[in-house]
Amino acid sequence: MKRILLLITSLLSCFASADGNEPLRIGVLSFASPDTVYQRWAPTFDRVAENTGHTFSVLPLTPGELQEFVANDKLDFIIGNALTTVTFKKDYGVSNLLSLVPNYHSDPDHAVGSALITRSSLNIEDIGQLSTMSVVSSDPNAFGGFQILAGELASHSINPFKDFKKLTFVGFPQDKLLNLVLDKKADVAILPSCVLESAIKKGLVPETALKVVLQKEVPNYECAVSSSLYPSYAFSKLGHTDHVLATQVVKSLLKITNKDKEAISGRYQYWSAPVNDREVFRLLRTLNRWPFVTNWEFLLKGAVPWVIGALILLLLGYLHHLRVKRLVVLRTRALSSEMEQHQRTQKELFEQQKQFYKAQRVLLTGEMASGIAHELNQPLAGIRYLTQGCLYRLTPEQGELNSALNKAIEQVDRAQSTIKRFRQFCQQPSVYEKCDLKNLIEETLNLMAPEFKRMHLSPKLSLERVTTIADISLIQQVLVNLIRNALDAMESDDMPQLGIQLVEEDKHAVIIIEDSGIGLSEEALSRLFFPFETSKEKGLGLGMVICKRIVEEHGGQIHAVNLIKGLKITVSLPIKEQQDV
Amino acid sequence: MCDIYLVDDDQDVLDSLSWMLDGLGLKTQGFLNAATFLSAVDITRPGIAILDIQMPDMDGIALLHHIKAAASPLSVIMLTGHGTITMAVQAIQQGAIDFLEKPVDGDKLSLLLARAKEISLQSFDELRLQTEIDHRVASLTPREHEVMLKVLEGKQNKVIAAELNIAQRTIELHRQKVMQKMQVSNAAELAYLMAKSEE
Repeated sequence: MKRILLLITSLLSCFASADGNEPLRIGVLSFASPDTVYQRWAPTFDRVAENTGHTFSVLPLTPGELQEFVANDKLDFIIGNALTTVTFKKDYGVSNLLSLVPNYHSDPDHAVGSALITRSSLNIEDIGQLSTMSVVSSDPNAFGGFQILAGELASHSINPFKDFKKLTFVGFPQDKLLNLVLDKKADVAILPSCVLESAIKKGLVPETALKVVLQKEVPNYECAVSSSLYPSYAFSKLGHTDHVLATQVVKSLLKITNKDKEAISGRYQYWSAPVNDREVFRLLRTLNRWPFVTNWEFLLKGAVPWVIGALILLLLGYLHHLRVKRLVVLRTRALSSEMEQHQRTQKELFEQQKQFYKAQRVLLTGEMASGIAHELNQPLAGIRYLTQGCLYRLTPEQGELNSALNKAIEQVDRAQSTIKRFRQFCQQPSVYEKCDLKNLIEETLNLMAPEFKRMHLSPKLSLERVTTIADISLIQQVLVNLIRNALDAMESDDMPQLGIQLVEEDKHAVIIIEDSGIGLSEEALSRLFFPFETSKEKGLGLGMVICKRIVEEHGGQIHAVNLIKGLKITVSLPIKEQQDV
Repeated sequence: MCDIYLVDDDQDVLDSLSWMLDGLGLKTQGFLNAATFLSAVDITRPGIAILDIQMPDMDGIALLHHIKAAASPLSVIMLTGHGTITMAVQAIQQGAIDFLEKPVDGDKLSLLLARAKEISLQSFDELRLQTEIDHRVASLTPREHEVMLKVLEGKQNKVIAAELNIAQRTIELHRQKVMQKMQVSNAAELAYLMAKSEE
């Protein structure tokens, strides 16, 4: 909230200056509260503003914000710690203009270090001991507070994030960490050098309660330190900032001495020429090797497109997976329903076949009975005629013969009534119903599909839709018989051809079956519809008789004629709208 | 005089039936199939045909159809080893006088034959008369034919004369000629004759 206010006031002041120049933006790396940071640096740049005639706005920024502002060229100058500065130098071409000489030290090359602070009662001789302790620090991005020490740890192959028993970042102010150690809430605090000394000077902690462990001997350094020393804050310009302007600002800053109020409020002595940052680069490299201290946000930013890409790819992959899965489910369902249907069809076909053969058996039995009856009937008729002829020739004197002959006639009649009953018994009643002949022909072909397959023959069909009243199973018998005969006639044919036509002609349904088979002799043709006439070795000679009987029972006609090659059978059935008696 | 023809493809049955009828004093001629029957018999003469239904080539029903289509005076009796109702109905519809199952009883058959003979002769006479009338009508001149139709309508000579715009005397002559050619003595006889021919 305060920061927003500051931003607004600085913006307002920029409008107030009214000379039309944009205020120059100075980003300051800030971990602590933004107004503290603002108050530290504002006097310095007020003075620079006075000297140069430009307006400045000081923007305290968190490490993340600072990086974003630098990346988008939203700043003109930055004040950052040594590590940030070299990082930006490397990544964004920021140029280091000045180094800060902080209070206490006069060597800008060695101005900041890290101190490991613990209670006086605790003894830490070796850096490895830290891993068993509860450690606090202010921020993983804090230079003196954490990163310098992290570099030291890295050179001892210790990863503080993994290897420390407990590592907590508690934020600012830094004095708070001293209290945590004092109150035994933590064993060790990682803090920039001189924090302890400054706290003791201010009387915030008792003089002997805390100590800096693993101290390094550093000549001409006033505070105890546990690490090597690095340069302090640096003032840098961004690549786009005008160098004339930069020179003016640098001139103005260099005039500040340690007695000036700006230096006092800024807690520094003066600004110096840029220091040797080789050590800082080395530290950066060390830290970059250790993923725990890499500039996560920066890496993340670089990685974001890749991560998004990868996510999109993953998402696409997942979607593809889902789609494939769905397709598999659908296909499986389709397949299983197809299979089910297939099974059903097969069952139906099987059922049909069974029905068909049953009907055929019944018909054959009937026809055989009929044929036998006929064969017996003829001689019986002859006997009866002859006997009665004898009776007519008897003279009145031959009375004895009369009764014998009459008895003979009675015997013939008895035999005949037996035959008649036998035949009636074997005849099955027809069931007339509405019958779609086109469907029936197609069904029949389906029924006979295996035979067509065996002969590599597909019939040429030309079927109109014709419906009449008929006994479906009987008509099917006719069709099967005729088609089978046609197939048998073409058994030894290389190029068998079968044509089946169904047309409506003059209130008759006409079925024409033409084959390209061996045909029939004239004699066989004339006796085609007689029982026990067959050209087949194993045939009974009833098929065509049955056909004729069925067709005639339907009031229709059946004819056969020889073609040049093959036989043509024409069945014509009257079309009935409804069943008549 | 009325011939009896038997058509059956079974020689034995044919012979035995013929022999039985012979016993009843009825002379018959037997044929083994429709073709020989048709080539040997003048079907415009009166007679009786006893046809077996089941025969090769042209079966009994087809032969019956052929006979009736030729406006023959023949009486046809169908005979079959095993008849169905459909067949029987078909045969009667086609003009057979009866449909019997083999073997037929001689007594029954002789009664039927007597009736068939009567029917055949009668239809032969009718056919002959019809032919005769047709001949007579054909011998009329167009004018005479015209006058005859007017006479049949019951019109008097003077009315006809007026309608046809001819002298009454001429009409009288035409009328006389018509009566002469049609072999009738008056208008009533002419009307009777024509009515009979139109039956």
